Amino acid sequence: MYIIVAGGGKVGYFLSKSLVAEGHEVLIIEKNAKKCLAIADDLGSIVMRGDACEAATLEETGAARADVIVAVTGDDEDNLVICQMAKVKYHVPRTIARINNPRNEKIFKLLGIDVTVSTTELILAHIQQEISAPDLIHLLRLRHADLEIVEARITPDARAAHRPLRDLGIPSTCAISAIIRNGKVVIPSGETCLEPEDEVIAACAPASEDALREALGTRDVPR
Amino acid sequence: MEQLRRALVPVNGDDVDIEAVQFACSVARRSKAKIYVIYVIEVKRALPLDAEITSDVARAEQILSRAERVAEEASYEVETDLLQAREVGSALVEEAAERDVDVIIMGARYKRRFGEFHLGTTVPYVLKNAPCRVWVMREAISSARSRQD
Amino acid sequence: MQIVILGCGRVGSTLARMLDAEGHDVTIVDQNADQFKRLGPGFRGTALIGNGIDEDTLRRAGIEQADAFAATTNGDNTNIMTAQMAKHLFHVPTVIARLYDPIREETYRVLGLETFCPTTLGASVLKEKLNKAGASAARARR
Repeated sequence: MYIIVAGGGKVGYFLSKSLVAEGHEVLIIEKNAKKCLAIADDLGSIVMRGDACEAATLEETGAARADVIVAVTGDDEDNLVICQMAKVKYHVPRTIARINNPRNEKIFKLLGIDVTVSTTELILAHIQQEISAPDLIHLLRLRHADLEIVEARITPDARAAHRPLRDLGIPSTCAISAIIRNGKVVIPSGETCLEPEDEVIAACAPASEDALREALGTRDVPR
Repeated sequence: MEQLRRALVPVNGDDVDIEAVQFACSVARRSKAKIYVIYVIEVKRALPLDAEITSDVARAEQILSRAERVAEEASYEVETDLLQAREVGSALVEEAAERDVDVIIMGARYKRRFGEFHLGTTVPYVLKNAPCRVWVMREAISSARSRQD
Repeated sequence: MQIVILGCGRVGSTLARMLDAEGHDVTIVDQNADQFKRLGPGFRGTALIGNGIDEDTLRRAGIEQADAFAATTNGDNTNIMTAQMAKHLFHVPTVIARLYDPIREETYRVLGLETFCPTTLGASVLKEKLNKAGASAARARR
């Protein structure tokens, strides 16, 4: 895949490094000349100096043949505009934006950004998980399909523990896609029993989150 | 300098290429060193790196065969190669490291930009980053004048 | 009319004063309190310190009841984002964004945003004046 990463800060840098290691063609767009040089020194000629909000820059990057654009600058408004320009002018099929203010997620979705990732919200979710009953952690939201990927940890006294999935009354708009058990991925069937400390990854419509919580019994378990 | 074993001579079609190839041959002869003449096609980001740009390839091949002829006239054999990269400078540096050359011998035009002498981006990049020696041969100002650019 | 203006620069403050003088109910928002000095002592509207790309700030500015919203900060992207928030999130009937970049202006105009580009407008006014001045100078020379 050809992936354009807008923003060569820490997130953009480490993201690109991983993507390159996975064999993708990556291009980082970064405004700051010094940062560009540092990235080029380390990762080679996969960086271009420029403002990713400018059409001329996007044109030069070959946005028209990009499979994904990821906007990870520190400013939400820039990330929004980068994704919108890429979508509207260059028909980039998939746009991913980093959001700093979690409240902005709604407007990003409304305006057609495919995936939003909010570091703030991720950290918040982890803190919530630590301090209250285990709950669903939002891993990813897919706007176009009105679908989210969530994670839940099964506690020893959860309602779902030691019971097969088919008996749990999982809502039909949810699919348990994977179970992470002792660090290994288990692809579940209806017969699979959940065990304490399992991490359950589910695809789920946002509206049926509560039903999923209830089915897994992860909410009403005090720690 | 210890014995020269391998030299890299990047060419780009400028007249000063000829001087660089001639010079490389005369230096290499003493130790029967290998000369790699390479041309780098800079591929715009709008195209995938392995895109076949027929016009560019044709031009590159022409330039490489000119280098071969220059070497032949000097009765020396060179190996030519054609590369595609996003940036010439980093491609040359990588190539120099990969082929473990002792020296990069490259020509530079006498160019002005906004009224000032300008070395471009590739030569400074190679000077800064090449692991080996770099010899830059700048053409005479008179050659630049006679070209009138 | 109830109007919310984002950005109290030269344009925003002038607009705010003009609308205020006409008797409209104006709220102007800027991150920097110093900017409000531009409004002068006669301004009867509300000046609010805050970050415009924050829903809460916009709500405090009364965007939910506003008839119009104008984004006039010196950041094109801030104006684009807040204008779209006003339009799609708060359904403000009239929304205008000032954008310096002509290409962004065109793109968002196509997307249905009301935009205003001082760059192209200023350049064409200058060109017109130059043409006119040039023509009369040429006549005078003859």
